[in-house]
Amino acid sequence: MVSKTATQPPQRNIIRRWLAADTLSGIKRQRAILGYLFLLPTIIGLVVFIVGPMIGSLALSLYKWNVFRPPEFIGLDNFERLFSDARILVGYRNTAILVVMTVSLLEVLAFTLAMLVHKISNRFLSTFFRTAYFLPVLLSGAATAVTLGYLFHYDFGVINYYLGMIGIEKIKWLISSDVVLIAIALTTVWRNLGFTFIIYLGGIASLPTEVLEAAEVDGARGLQRITRIILPLLSPTILFASVTDIIKMLQFFDEPFIMTRGGPGDSSRTVVMMMYESGFGNLEFGYASAIALSLFIVILGVTGVQFYLSKRWVFYR
Amino acid sequence: MTDKISRRDLLKMIGVSAVAAGVAAAPLVKVFARPAGQDAVTLRFQENADDYAAVVAAFNELFPNVTIEFVNVTGVDHAEIASKILAQLAAGTPVNIGYAATEATQLYAGEGLAMSLTERALADSAEMADYFADVSPTLIEGMMYEGDLYQLPRDFNAAHIYFNKSLLEEAGIEVPGEEWTKDDFLAIAQATTGIGPDSDSFGYGWTNRLWGSWTPWFFVNNTNLLTEERAPGGEAIWSTFYADQPLAEGRGGGWRWPAPQANNPDMVEALEFVVGLTDAGLTPQVEIGGGDRLQGFFVSNKLAMTIAGGFWAGSLNNAGMEPGSFEVQYFPAWKSQRHQFGTGGAWILNGGGGEDAAWEFLKFNSRVETMLMIPWMANASTTPVRRSMNTAEYWGQTGMENWHVFYDALDQRPDTAPIPAPVFSIEMTNIYTRFTSLATSGEMTPQAALDGMQAELEALYARN
Amino acid sequence: MTSSNVMSAPVGRTSSRRGFAWYQKQFGRTVSMAFLIFMAMLTLMPFLWVVSTSLRSPAQSFNLPPQWIPVDMDFSNYARVFEEIPFWQQMGNSFFITLAVVFGQLATASLAGYAFARLKFPGRNILFWVVLATMMIPGQATIIPVFIVISRVLGLTDTLGALIYPGLATAFGTFLLRQYFMGIPDDFEEAALVEGANQWQIFRKIYFPLASPGMAILAVLTFNAKWNDYFTPLIFMSTKERFPITLGIVDLQGYMATGSISVVLAGIVLSTIPVIIIYVLGQRYLVEGLMMGGVKG
Repeated sequence: MVSKTATQPPQRNIIRRWLAADTLSGIKRQRAILGYLFLLPTIIGLVVFIVGPMIGSLALSLYKWNVFRPPEFIGLDNFERLFSDARILVGYRNTAILVVMTVSLLEVLAFTLAMLVHKISNRFLSTFFRTAYFLPVLLSGAATAVTLGYLFHYDFGVINYYLGMIGIEKIKWLISSDVVLIAIALTTVWRNLGFTFIIYLGGIASLPTEVLEAAEVDGARGLQRITRIILPLLSPTILFASVTDIIKMLQFFDEPFIMTRGGPGDSSRTVVMMMYESGFGNLEFGYASAIALSLFIVILGVTGVQFYLSKRWVFYR
Repeated sequence: MTDKISRRDLLKMIGVSAVAAGVAAAPLVKVFARPAGQDAVTLRFQENADDYAAVVAAFNELFPNVTIEFVNVTGVDHAEIASKILAQLAAGTPVNIGYAATEATQLYAGEGLAMSLTERALADSAEMADYFADVSPTLIEGMMYEGDLYQLPRDFNAAHIYFNKSLLEEAGIEVPGEEWTKDDFLAIAQATTGIGPDSDSFGYGWTNRLWGSWTPWFFVNNTNLLTEERAPGGEAIWSTFYADQPLAEGRGGGWRWPAPQANNPDMVEALEFVVGLTDAGLTPQVEIGGGDRLQGFFVSNKLAMTIAGGFWAGSLNNAGMEPGSFEVQYFPAWKSQRHQFGTGGAWILNGGGGEDAAWEFLKFNSRVETMLMIPWMANASTTPVRRSMNTAEYWGQTGMENWHVFYDALDQRPDTAPIPAPVFSIEMTNIYTRFTSLATSGEMTPQAALDGMQAELEALYARN
Repeated sequence: MTSSNVMSAPVGRTSSRRGFAWYQKQFGRTVSMAFLIFMAMLTLMPFLWVVSTSLRSPAQSFNLPPQWIPVDMDFSNYARVFEEIPFWQQMGNSFFITLAVVFGQLATASLAGYAFARLKFPGRNILFWVVLATMMIPGQATIIPVFIVISRVLGLTDTLGALIYPGLATAFGTFLLRQYFMGIPDDFEEAALVEGANQWQIFRKIYFPLASPGMAILAVLTFNAKWNDYFTPLIFMSTKERFPITLGIVDLQGYMATGSISVVLAGIVLSTIPVIIIYVLGQRYLVEGLMMGGVKG
């Protein structure tokens, strides 16, 4: 190093030695700087396009702004209104029901399918199933809503037709407050199953085979094998899948918006729909921002709880 | 390199972006028409480039210094399109010339977004005389607000009943005459349910929205969702352009809808009638949205009657129905036979710059030749506002015999009025469709639904 | 993948190799296959309906029972799609935007995910939480400020850039790849350090390739999400020629939603085909990636 750096200016020399030091703190420094460097593009992007605008929205929630007139500062009035607004409560209730129904069905189905498909040794068959299950994910939300809207139609829909053939009465899928959330949940599960399925497939594929084999030799079989061995090993994947799915579903918009516009009444109106409607429909951008903020806090809370609980059941290798 | 430092950095970043976002969020209506050079002006025009390409080319021959930029805003319904336009305004890039239907007329006018056209129209009265003579005063009044004109109507649609002739023939029924009543309607609906190639047809279908849902029914029941009155003013327009027309008498400066009356007995009666049709199995599931699904059913001979305006005629042809396989008639009479309509036209952005050029463009668009350059105007996919365009030839493409009802709804019926659409019509429509859906799904009685609707409408009025 | 024999023949019970356990296993396999096929039918049924209805004239669309295999194929609906919108141009837009975002995200997320998983630096946990928190912000909440940033600050309205730049950073991708990187043992790094590699080389030559299943998944999912994005292009794009194909399809609905349903469905089929092709192609790499990803002892 001495001969090379003899001609270099002294400062660069010092820095380079500082960075390239083989000591523990040298490596630590390398890692730290590298860490920040690696993060830079992501952080910049997120700040400019998400954090910044979110703060803008936050600021907006303290104002009353209908686009035409200048914004009027009203402090926490929007939040007062939010807490006493019965319709928002209904929106949260609907969102909660949808999330619970959809995510539980999704995780169970996706895991089961992934386990079964993983076992198939025939290349052609496994590719077939993989493609078949993932196909709905490839459709856009709008296209899905349009298509399933037709299939769920009370009078002319294919689903009611086949139900009729096996003796079940026509169900008012989209026009009855009792059933509409189920129809939307089914649509969402149909569309998102492939996504979660792939995640589980990836997770199962990277399970260490030697551990599995050792367990089998020890006599673990069937349900025991699943609950005692596979699920714990899979837990980082399960955490990832469920956190992602819950966050996605809490922000649910496309399908209910297109299929029922929130109807009948408010029975399929989600919180995000209400936010969109207050802002873009009623031109109350301040109130809409307040709703968005409340949703953000809820999502934060739910995810926080999930991560906290995860310390107990997630097991990293 | 402690935690404190990085937290500070983070907060600094947040602070900077908050300031930036705050500054950017203040709405400033700048001058958006960019005058580049002496006379050159660029106008942002809310329309579909394909449809208007010929128009703009022709316009540019007369006014080569004006560049028109297209801003194609799509949406399922007029309210949605209005929302998009407002989003653009919120972000600081509004259009110079917009297109709005009745649903948004008072919104743009009332909030000061649209420029008043009264003075310019009067100043150019010689040039515009031909247009106004050709356009029913009913439509003009519909585009006025508090005494001033804000848009030049281009096309309109009143609500009529369309008939699927093959189903009617199968049931052995003739297309009814102009004076047919609600009871005649009911009889036809009953006779045409459960027939057709698969024996699964419905007599009557409708979509839950503002225009043409059950709105025409309460109109013919001689009531309205909101109370009505005429604003004062507008004498200049009436005396200049409609001096000798009986139909223009008694008109004012635009419509006002001062208070909600959603649950008055006639409204309840109308809703009960319509919901009764669903209960009797004569109507398929009622959904919120546009009419595309209904069109599908109609075209596949599963629907005998439905509400639509001139806009359906051309598009039924497009969808594959033979000319002559469908027919139209006035809305049936009940306590009255009052028709409802919606109309649309261009408006000019207030203070956006380039208003003179924009006004020239609007005038240019009001000519017959210009209107015919728009493909969907030429193929009878809407009702032109110009009487002279509503000819047998024009409508002959569709094969309907009763095409005259489209414009006669204005000329022969002085009580025809626009759908109720005050400044906050978007929010009003949401309340309207929401409670309607609860009534049609059977979860609330019509009376209860309308009571609920009235309560929320009252709150809405109080907030505004 | 464990061999089936191991399961049905625990040590010490060779005599019952073909006994009850064997039949139980066969029954289990049949049931699972039946279930898999049933689920496949459920997922594929709506597609079949879309395809077959798009080949029928509107007058036939709603006939029940539905004709799964259309008797008279009417391709005119597909021709109409090309007439009504600048199909190829919009397809090109979609490809450009989507591929740009996919590669962008792979780059930013692998770097950031690695940093969170394996590099220690002050404030790492807080930053990770902040990143994660951004995933929970509903897109619709930030759309107006984002529009302001794009239009006034960056001047990019109605350009493809408006759809690309906001999509380059990804909290989801970072989270995904962090989990993947965390699942790879430290041994590799220790071995590499012994050989004198620096951090950058460790990342590039060892961990980056090992996370390829994660990246394959991210690529496929991002491709899909960006391709099907409807709401954002709706707000940012005004000229038809610059629309991505998903927006173009909505155009088919026409004024006041009176377009023919069969044409709209034909449009849906056409716009989904490229995504399907990409998936089928990428599927092989996905499989290999998944196989490789399993850490061998």
